[in-house]
Amino acid sequence: MNNYVLSKDQINKLTQELLTSDYKVISSSKDGRRFVAISSADDLMINSNQKPSAVSMKEFFFPKTETLFFYKRNKDEYDLIDAIEENQLQIIFGAKPCDTSAIPIVSKVFNWDYKDVFFNKKVENTIIIGLTCNFIDENCFCTSVGLSPISEKGSDLFLIPIDENKFACKVVTEKGEKFVSSHSNIFTQTIDEQSINTNDIKIPEKRFEPKEVKEWLDKNFNHSLWDELGENCLGCAQCAFACPTCHCFDIVDEECNHTCGRRAKNWDACQFEIFTKHASGHNPRNEQDKRYRQRISHKFKYYADKFDEILCTGCGRCTRGCPVFTDIGIILEDINQLAKESISNN
Amino acid sequence: MKQLIDISKELFESKKVAYIIGYAEDKFKRVKPFVAHSSLDAETFVFNNYSVNNLSVYLTRLPKPKDGKIGIVAKGCDIKSIIALIQENQIKRDDVIIIGVNCNSVVNQIDEQFSKENTAIKCKYCQVRTPAHYDYLVGEIKEVELPEDKNFAIMQKLDSMSAEEKWNFWEAEFEKCVKCYACRQVCPLCYCEQCIVDKSMPRWIDSSATTKGNFAWNMIRAFHLSGRCIGCNECERACPADIPLSLLNRKMGMVAMNEFNYRHGTDINQPTLIGNYNVNDKEDFIM
Repeated sequence: MNNYVLSKDQINKLTQELLTSDYKVISSSKDGRRFVAISSADDLMINSNQKPSAVSMKEFFFPKTETLFFYKRNKDEYDLIDAIEENQLQIIFGAKPCDTSAIPIVSKVFNWDYKDVFFNKKVENTIIIGLTCNFIDENCFCTSVGLSPISEKGSDLFLIPIDENKFACKVVTEKGEKFVSSHSNIFTQTIDEQSINTNDIKIPEKRFEPKEVKEWLDKNFNHSLWDELGENCLGCAQCAFACPTCHCFDIVDEECNHTCGRRAKNWDACQFEIFTKHASGHNPRNEQDKRYRQRISHKFKYYADKFDEILCTGCGRCTRGCPVFTDIGIILEDINQLAKESISNN
Repeated sequence: MKQLIDISKELFESKKVAYIIGYAEDKFKRVKPFVAHSSLDAETFVFNNYSVNNLSVYLTRLPKPKDGKIGIVAKGCDIKSIIALIQENQIKRDDVIIIGVNCNSVVNQIDEQFSKENTAIKCKYCQVRTPAHYDYLVGEIKEVELPEDKNFAIMQKLDSMSAEEKWNFWEAEFEKCVKCYACRQVCPLCYCEQCIVDKSMPRWIDSSATTKGNFAWNMIRAFHLSGRCIGCNECERACPADIPLSLLNRKMGMVAMNEFNYRHGTDINQPTLIGNYNVNDKEDFIM
């Protein structure tokens, strides 16, 4: 597949074209805190130096609330009306590797025993244009979970800044290739793979070894570490809602009146007490330490057991937003340390 | 700091407390809540301009100790919510030992350097830099430069808006809500054993992050906090969607003050505004 050079003007022109066709165009908001659908090329934000958004862009694949179907009551019968948006095309500009890589990761659970047509349709209808990341703070650890600021995982096209006004654009997937060929008026200038320079990109240091973390988690379901973590955590679940890979949902029925309504899939989180509360009143995760253990274990043990993937992209969103400053990176380093100590003790 | 650590150690050594809720630094020197269980733990206590958390939220979240009291390190503003919890019969005065701290204001954006511009707006009108109520008092008052009250102009603008304009303003703000309820979880006065949004038989409030569900949640929370919010602004700080919740809470607090001359969290013996019937209360306020 070819690689191209795109100027900012060409990207703006492409955006205008897409906005006038059927695409929903998605970019970082001006304040960099979230991803939003834009209505003008002036609102496009592509900045590799920017801090990761506060909330990931997952809502464009897994909306915070999504109608599964509508229902209408006719005397004693119910009519069900499909709600799936079959044809809404989307394009996402400038998502970081720690955001784009989440899509193939969660795709595994959305296509496990049941194929989630809502998620899959959105993935199928979306072009993701990733962007190298040139931001590091103490909360970042993408390299510890097998990713990097130049990882193309999850992107269809991938942008690497050449100078202030130009990007190299790598074509990553066949879907990306198809998109390029249908916009051949924009993608005109090609560039050799060897000429694309990523040497200036800062790469965060590796902070822990996920395999060792997992081995420790395999053996330490009951450990005093969980008590310590549970004590600080307020169970607000900001972490899960900001996270690119957290994908738990609740299903609810909402009435519009007594004859109609909808069934909806809404974001949910394992940090809530009622998440695991049984109808009997029993709650297997009745305390915050158990709920915090679930968060770490799901990401670094259960998902790895089941899908051979880590359910974390090292983006640091959960830490940056945590009202009590719980730092998942530090916790994983601590676990890695405990793992090393237990190996040397044996 | 030495004073704070000495008092905390003494409280452990004399077995007066089971644990003390305070602040400590993590390995990146970030100040975060920390529960000390021993005098050794207490040696890590810190207090500075980055001690933003209102720790009183932990008073109703952590298990009640079998022996001993709960110690808590608190700024003047946080002590207002401790008093509020006592006024509302959620904790007993005798069950807590309050280590009040003289506060020289706290940071607004936690990941940026503390400065006049980066000072929490709530500090602007603070009248309790030296706490009004405590068991022990530590720290020294220094002169501080106060920030601009950027929210006041927004509140005035909101007051002058038509109902439709107000609706549009809040609709755009609430549209960002992800229904994580972080606002509730960090709030020291959101202590209901079962929150109304979690009730599903019947469901009173849509759990979906739709216009209807978002309005229902944010309005019900504002109503529940009317005349109760003490203005610590933890909800606004915790909100991942950056919804300016303090505008709502501050407005409701101003109504409680102007209409009923009531400010919550100032006197442990004062009956609460909502929990008390007063024949002299104005009725013209009821629509």
